Amino acid sequence: MNKLMDLAAAMAQIPDGAMVGLGGNTLNRAPMAAVMALACQGKQGLRLVKTAGGMDVDLLCFAGCVSSVDAGFISYETQYSLCQHYRSAVQAGKVQANEHACYTVISALRAASYGIPFMPVRGLVESDLVTANEYFAQVKDPFSGDILNAVRAIQPDVSIVHVHMADARGNAVIEGPQYDDILLSRASKTVILTAERIVGDGYFAASSRKADIPHFMVSAVVHAPRGAAPGACHGVHGVSDGELHSFLALADAEALTQWLTRRHVHA
Amino acid sequence: MLRPCDMMAVCMARLICDGETVFHGVSSHLPLVAVLLAKQTHAPQAVHLNIPGGVDPQRPTLEAFTSAGGTLLETAQAQFPLSEVFDLSMRGGLDVAFLSGVQFDNRGGVNASVIGDYRKPKVRLPGGAGSAVLIPTAKRAIIWRTKHDRRTFCETLDFLTARGNVSDIITPLCHFKMYAGELILHSIHPNVTIAEIAENTGFPIRYLAQTTTPPPTEEELAALRDIDPLDYRNLEFR
Repeated sequence: MNKLMDLAAAMAQIPDGAMVGLGGNTLNRAPMAAVMALACQGKQGLRLVKTAGGMDVDLLCFAGCVSSVDAGFISYETQYSLCQHYRSAVQAGKVQANEHACYTVISALRAASYGIPFMPVRGLVESDLVTANEYFAQVKDPFSGDILNAVRAIQPDVSIVHVHMADARGNAVIEGPQYDDILLSRASKTVILTAERIVGDGYFAASSRKADIPHFMVSAVVHAPRGAAPGACHGVHGVSDGELHSFLALADAEALTQWLTRRHVHA
Repeated sequence: MLRPCDMMAVCMARLICDGETVFHGVSSHLPLVAVLLAKQTHAPQAVHLNIPGGVDPQRPTLEAFTSAGGTLLETAQAQFPLSEVFDLSMRGGLDVAFLSGVQFDNRGGVNASVIGDYRKPKVRLPGGAGSAVLIPTAKRAIIWRTKHDRRTFCETLDFLTARGNVSDIITPLCHFKMYAGELILHSIHPNVTIAEIAENTGFPIRYLAQTTTPPPTEEELAALRDIDPLDYRNLEFR
């Protein structure tokens, strides 16, 4: 089955209010082309899931697409500093920040991928996160009687993962760090891929390097070279400093719309 | 002139013992450089763990925009990504985790979450990343913070992201250590006075002895320049 489609058609599959897992880590291989397309389509009420997010989460908050963010860390890391749009959206009460430890996002995704409703987690011994968030609770070990903390499963409706290579059916390879993307693909109801390169149907059958994400988990494949820019894609390109600064300098939603339109025209 | 970033990197590196498993995460150029320094000097058998999952990267090219990028995997010999580093810590196998935060009390509490109310915060911070699970499970959580003022080191936290096995806190002014459940002054960095530390700390400074942090040696400084020629250890001070 050929799942190749253009970016707009793939993003149109995602309804308002969907829970969306985002691949990559901070400015590393985040699915930025897809994120920008979501913003252009004016999505509303997206519930984002990520261990450590950056510009992807910031841009979607800026564009008013987001109702909640489940993550352990949201920042551009040190060089490009804080996610000001995420921050002000949370401070204004527009976006609910569901803070996790990165590991509790992983544990919640594992629960979903194992088909169980929650996952016990060590740590969180003394933390206000446990009392402040209803997705944490205590459970009793049925064997020893010990009390453990647990996190509720997170099953994204869809995850968007930017990959180095995919075939038209949706078999995909990530080169270099995979971060939590393979788990994300297993935990989610479906996966949308954006790919640097589309390979022929027989490619993976003939290759000793098999696909990391198998086709049957994937609902759409988009050919999107530089689909992680202005962030980095390992082995392909680094960050685009100029574009990052031009985004960070945007004053308001209107400026963002112009910036997205200009970028879209150039693409 | 001794720069705070060099003093901090050296101070953090010296806390790593040979053979220990050591993890750092995102926004962590200083600990990244400290781990590489320790491995190049006194702790060659320390095990360097990171988010992209490169175990013991050999002379990695450092990147300004991230401390969790692919170059840490490129020159590594084995893969052991973030989820597995966490698992290791949960089962008691992680010796050292380098973490940070925005507020610290003198009982080893860390706030990296919010200033103000959790649901309606005055300031939404990036979040604790691994802190809430690593601080209680790693054998030692070593904290670094490049700001040392009364808002950072305070009597009462706005929010407790984590408390647990914080062992040391390194700042541009000094090295604090947890001792019998209390954060005490362990050593004062060169060219800093105890009055300056007291003035900039929101809880009373207590100590067992007034000692000075040994300044970086020529060997350590040369290794720092070699490991980090583009001076990313100074990113947080720029």
